[in-house]
Amino acid sequence: MNWRNVELILAREVRDQLRDRRTLFMIAILPMVLYPLLGMSFFQVTQFLREHPVRILVVDPPPPGELPPLIDGERFSAALFSPGDDRSAELLRVTTQKAPNDTSRAADSWARQQMLDGGFDVVVSFPAEFALRTKAAAEPLRQESGQPSPELDVSVYPNLARDSSRTAHRRVTDVLLRWRDELGRQNLESRGLPITAAKPFKIATHDVAEKSQHRAAAWSKILPLVLLLWALTGAFYPAIDLCAGEKERGTLETLLSSPAERLEIVWGKLLTVMLFSMATAVLNLSSLALTGTLVLSQLPNLGPPPTLAFLWLLVALVPMSALFSALCLALAVLAKSTKEGQYYLMPLVLVTMPLVVLPMSPGVELNFGNSLIPVTGVVLLLRSLLEGEYLAVLPYVPLVVAVTVICALMAIRWATNQFNSESVLFRESERLDVNLWLRHLVRDRGPTPSFAEAMFCGFLILLVKFFMSFGMRTPRSFSDFVNLVAITQLIVIALPALLMAVFFTSRPALTLLIKRPPFGTPMAAALLAFAFHPTANMLQAVVQWVYPLDDQVAKTISQLVFEPDSIWVLLLVIAVLPAVCEELAFRGFILSGLRHMGHKWTAILVSSLFFGATHALFQQSIVASLVGAILGYVAVQSGSIWPCILFHAIHNSLAVLVQRIIGDAADRPEWLRWIVRETPANGMLYHWPVVLASICVSAAILYWFHRQPYARTPEESLQEAIDHQSAHWMPG
Amino acid sequence: MIHVRHLAKHYADLKRGKIVALGGVSFDAMPGQVYGLLGPNGAGKTTVLRILSTILRPSGGTASVNGYEVLTQASHVRHQIGFVSTNTAVYDRMTAWEMVEYFGRLYGLEGEFLRSRMEEIFDRLQMNEIRDMLGAKMSTGMKQKVSIARAIVHDPPVLIFDEATSGLDVLVARALLESIAELRDQGKCVIFSTHIMREVEKLCDRIAIMHRGHILAEGTLGELCETHAQPDLEELFFHLIQEHDHRHAVIPTGLRSFAD
Repeated sequence: MNWRNVELILAREVRDQLRDRRTLFMIAILPMVLYPLLGMSFFQVTQFLREHPVRILVVDPPPPGELPPLIDGERFSAALFSPGDDRSAELLRVTTQKAPNDTSRAADSWARQQMLDGGFDVVVSFPAEFALRTKAAAEPLRQESGQPSPELDVSVYPNLARDSSRTAHRRVTDVLLRWRDELGRQNLESRGLPITAAKPFKIATHDVAEKSQHRAAAWSKILPLVLLLWALTGAFYPAIDLCAGEKERGTLETLLSSPAERLEIVWGKLLTVMLFSMATAVLNLSSLALTGTLVLSQLPNLGPPPTLAFLWLLVALVPMSALFSALCLALAVLAKSTKEGQYYLMPLVLVTMPLVVLPMSPGVELNFGNSLIPVTGVVLLLRSLLEGEYLAVLPYVPLVVAVTVICALMAIRWATNQFNSESVLFRESERLDVNLWLRHLVRDRGPTPSFAEAMFCGFLILLVKFFMSFGMRTPRSFSDFVNLVAITQLIVIALPALLMAVFFTSRPALTLLIKRPPFGTPMAAALLAFAFHPTANMLQAVVQWVYPLDDQVAKTISQLVFEPDSIWVLLLVIAVLPAVCEELAFRGFILSGLRHMGHKWTAILVSSLFFGATHALFQQSIVASLVGAILGYVAVQSGSIWPCILFHAIHNSLAVLVQRIIGDAADRPEWLRWIVRETPANGMLYHWPVVLASICVSAAILYWFHRQPYARTPEESLQEAIDHQSAHWMPG
Repeated sequence: MIHVRHLAKHYADLKRGKIVALGGVSFDAMPGQVYGLLGPNGAGKTTVLRILSTILRPSGGTASVNGYEVLTQASHVRHQIGFVSTNTAVYDRMTAWEMVEYFGRLYGLEGEFLRSRMEEIFDRLQMNEIRDMLGAKMSTGMKQKVSIARAIVHDPPVLIFDEATSGLDVLVARALLESIAELRDQGKCVIFSTHIMREVEKLCDRIAIMHRGHILAEGTLGELCETHAQPDLEELFFHLIQEHDHRHAVIPTGLRSFAD
């Protein structure tokens, strides 16, 4: 690669972008204006909220006299507020009223009507003869009954769906609690007892955190979010302009005919996008910091951001900008126009947002599992660094860096491949004709489903399963569990695939791979299931170590395995039924349709992801996806569903049997101790030599499958021809 | 200078199967010669020229430019050519001078040599008035001049013009044809594709008539008219197209047949 050309392209693209008013607005003007405006708006909104008085309707208030004063004119009594805090009293406008004579109407309905008619935010209703009853309630306990009088209810009716009513509810509750304390104090004093008799102690909180720690904690939640969002936004628009925009304006071909190699073009554009991504993020951070220093520092616990924070943010910005820039570039080159580019890049934002926002959830902290999640790991690491927990995060730094660098390198490689693909660079526009498509769907059924039909089937299964999970209760007994599995497998998974195979294809048996398997493949699949079991078992344990199962869920699963008396019923439900239903759907209908893509491995991967996603627990889905990929490969190489069903049934059976039979055996033979061991967290686990042997034997059997001749789809044959055409094709 | 042998290009389309853009074309173009590719839309002219300029990779056959193979020595080939096409636009946010300078530097020219070369080109193509004008503000004719300047800044021995007069008004088109003739007179090897016969008659030393990815006839205008017993290029063109369509009724190449 000639770096001089990269430098030239970078310089040109940067100059080009700087001459674009839209880019300048996004990276320079918007950040400078945005945060001061947001700061001003924040203060205005806060002021508005603070000064907004609320109206309280008090029904049947206790008359002044024996009880401590509650209401003074149109305000609550000043004695209920801190000395000199007239403002708080001002914000509660009180109207008093007698209780309605008509008692047929429900109290909450009457209160709602009063709020609507009188514009009240909260209605407070005292019970009849409140003063007398409170006096009675303060009487000493009588010897004969020994029971205190029941507590009186002072009813408060807010409309918690309204903000102003929520505020009023909070304020009036505080006032009533203070009045209750005062009443209690008066009652105690009348008996000659001090207030400490009822309140022997108070809780005094002494925060040991220094002010700077509060400041760091507050900013650590804001700054990483701002940094990554603007790094993505800053990459988004230049990427579209540099790829889709060039195609649209017709300058891409000009560049492609120049001496610059494709790789040099990609790097030139990538560095440009990165530069703008970083510049946007840095300018936004700087503007935020300036606003924070000047404006937000007046707020308690939110002074200016710590200076060291910017160093960490800048360090993290480089790989994140590289990742976002490469992803944006690879997607943008697919588009023929800037408008189309925006359609492609929106999904990227939608995927990235949850990863950026996830660390904001309470309780999500940097650990081994989270540090392996792209983007999320970086945000968590940054948060911890900004909070000054350097030693605590040190073990996770290599993991986060490795995951981020690998993702960035993969994204760059993808972008480079896109630029080397003629079909991407010179793609023609596509037109959707709904009528034509519907007619084609009904009339021109192919022998196997199309790619779109397979994807539709996969998403349909996932969606129905998702909505069904809300409709069905969590199984509490084995019979509940049997019902749940039967309905899920037969109706949610198998039925759509079978119906679609019958109605959308001309050869359902071919689609579902229902045919005699080649000699030896069922035996090989069965052996593979046995051989792979220790590996799957170990992988599941590793996954559960990284992403631990909830204790309650683990307990429920364990109970389901051990509860039923009949092992055969358990195997039928957990092994046989899923083996048949899931194989027909995922390796039958979905994989057959996906193979129309022309890429065997992509089809296997996508079908295995669908398979993994249908498993209820995330911890199950990871290993299930891997097993799905092996099953997909067996399906492609054997061309038959039967070896897959056999593998699947044995695989699931072993998972149950190992826990139930071996784990249950009190007098476990000595030789078994050399193979399996029991762990408190993961139940039965195989020893490492067994797992290594399992990997080797599984690989050997898969290699045997690899050597089997398999039936290619027309698209796969075509794709192979495309891959080899430039080298081997010569005109006759 | 340019040697093309059995050059083929086919695309894979999952709906339509194999699409043959070029079915194996062969021709030679020499220095001091304008070689014309004449054909209707979809004949394969742009595909040939995109392969020669290394924008596309051939599916089969060979093509060499000044001794360098397009498939294996693409980088060398790009230094030997200047490529102007209807699709090679100018950058909106660059001035004429900046754009020519940018490409000159990509071709490895630097400093005083590049500057004097650019001065010479701007004088020759009468571009000094638009030297500091941004591409977005240029007329079509001005943009075409910038494209030519960009293509010849490194003084390549081979120039490729792909339907370069398409969309130009008569005056600009005439000026462009004159520029091409000048380049030919300087000893450059020029390949010029068009579907306008008058331009071919006026400019080209040798002609290849293309249709559906094949060269139907190749030679000088005189040779072709004499061989096919046709009075002029227009008659010759229609005669060859009709004869070809009649002889090779087009049978769609389906997906299944390709896979088989």
